[in-house]
Amino acid sequence: MELIPILSTIILVATISTFLLAIGAYILYKIRERKYQRSVESGTSKYQAEVLMPAETPVSYVTPVPQKAYAEQTISRTQEEERKTTPQPAPAAFTPLPKEYTPSSVKSEKIAKKKLTDEHKFMKYTSEGYITPQEDRSSGAVKWK
Amino acid sequence: MAYLYVNEYTFSEEEDMNPFVSIIVPVYNEEKVIRDSINSLLNLNYSNYEIIIVNDGSTDNTKSICESLVGIRKGKFSDVRITLINKENAGKATALNTGIALSKAEFVLCMDGDSQLLPDTLKAAVRHFSDERIGAVAGNVKVLNRKRFLTDLQALEYIEGLNMARSAQSFLRLVNIIPGPIGVFRRRALEEAGFYSKDTFAEDADVTLKLLSKGWKIYYEPLAVSFTQAPATLQQLLKQRYRWTRGILQSVRKHKRFLFNPALNFGYTFVLWTMFYEALVWPVMNIAANAFFITAALAFGFSNLLFFWWAGLALLDMITALYCIAVEKEEFRLIWYAVLYRMVFILIIDICKTMSTIEEFLGIRMTWGKLERQTNSVITPVSGS
Repeated sequence: MELIPILSTIILVATISTFLLAIGAYILYKIRERKYQRSVESGTSKYQAEVLMPAETPVSYVTPVPQKAYAEQTISRTQEEERKTTPQPAPAAFTPLPKEYTPSSVKSEKIAKKKLTDEHKFMKYTSEGYITPQEDRSSGAVKWK
Repeated sequence: MAYLYVNEYTFSEEEDMNPFVSIIVPVYNEEKVIRDSINSLLNLNYSNYEIIIVNDGSTDNTKSICESLVGIRKGKFSDVRITLINKENAGKATALNTGIALSKAEFVLCMDGDSQLLPDTLKAAVRHFSDERIGAVAGNVKVLNRKRFLTDLQALEYIEGLNMARSAQSFLRLVNIIPGPIGVFRRRALEEAGFYSKDTFAEDADVTLKLLSKGWKIYYEPLAVSFTQAPATLQQLLKQRYRWTRGILQSVRKHKRFLFNPALNFGYTFVLWTMFYEALVWPVMNIAANAFFITAALAFGFSNLLFFWWAGLALLDMITALYCIAVEKEEFRLIWYAVLYRMVFILIIDICKTMSTIEEFLGIRMTWGKLERQTNSVITPVSGS
């Protein structure tokens, strides 16, 4: 017997079976879905909306303060002064806070640019301090060339 | 076009971008898989991101598991802030919108609660946003739970049927669906599009169409890989495809004014017609062709015709599968499934699509439905602090 007719028969049977399987499975799915829907409607959970966020600055470790290796002289200071000089622990490593998103429509205000030129660039320095070129010319001093 | 895209992609220059990104993980009854998903996120090769879990009224143990995950945890390159939002069940679209509203980042990655990302995913996806016209980047979805007949067939379908189509669309920067398991969005684009809508059952297709209608370009990044759970039984598979088909038709119907008016946005009209063709015309054509050959064999004895029809399709599918698997560096054992792919798997899917389409046009009520999950991990867990 030739191979092609046998394969053709197998494919024919397989295709018809697939058709029947697909239609059967679809009908079964619809029946199960209807039952599932009834059970879901009777058992929905309700709880309050809430946001759980981690603490902003989790201090996971404290920066060690170096131990004093010499006898320190006792200097009397006020409490306020002491507080200022006490070394503060370095900030603990944590995810940097996200930058506030601003839509492109809201243009950020332009920050005034810092002057890069030296104000004293064209001034002359004398024993009386800086003088402007105009003052220098009007002074009538002898100029060496 | 997929070939042109692969060529273009291979020779394009890579750019480094490191903006702050919020990863939104909507969960509903994901107690079996949520830990693996979060572990995969802590394993990303990226240093500037946060994770926002949105518990959409889960009825199982998901809430307590998520609460135990909240905090600042050790990522691969930096500490990662994990935030949890508990809310009443209102659907995936609302859950995603809630997460996006809390986020302050300029870029958001939306994924599914059962998906696991590969370490390079975020880095690979974010770099495309250096182009100001790109509104979103679609990722590469792969099947996680393989080694079963049905899930292996779906693994082949994702590679050959979905990803290759997406590559071709990406050549024109007109990807028609940003998949639910992995999509990175520019916040400004989402704002313009009006975020996710809950009036369709395919919120991912709908938001993609809205982005395209606003003139944004969408790119496909094959290295942004998300492993997702595929339905393991025929019932679950039909449930998923039923929702996809009706959801896509609902989305196309929402934007129908563009269907007959190519002057408004030609690329967008083209995308809508391809979706309409894929959801409605192609399945009917496939069923009709099969019915024709069965009738020819049974009524007129032309059974050889059916064999040559099957052999031709199987050969074409095998060549396509070989190319797609080689491009994606996937498992070569999947090629053999191409023999049964068209005549068995696609026929079942197409019958389901046709039935769903009829129900959609009849306006029969539908529900979302929840797929069953299995525990399965591809990522080594990262220890949290």
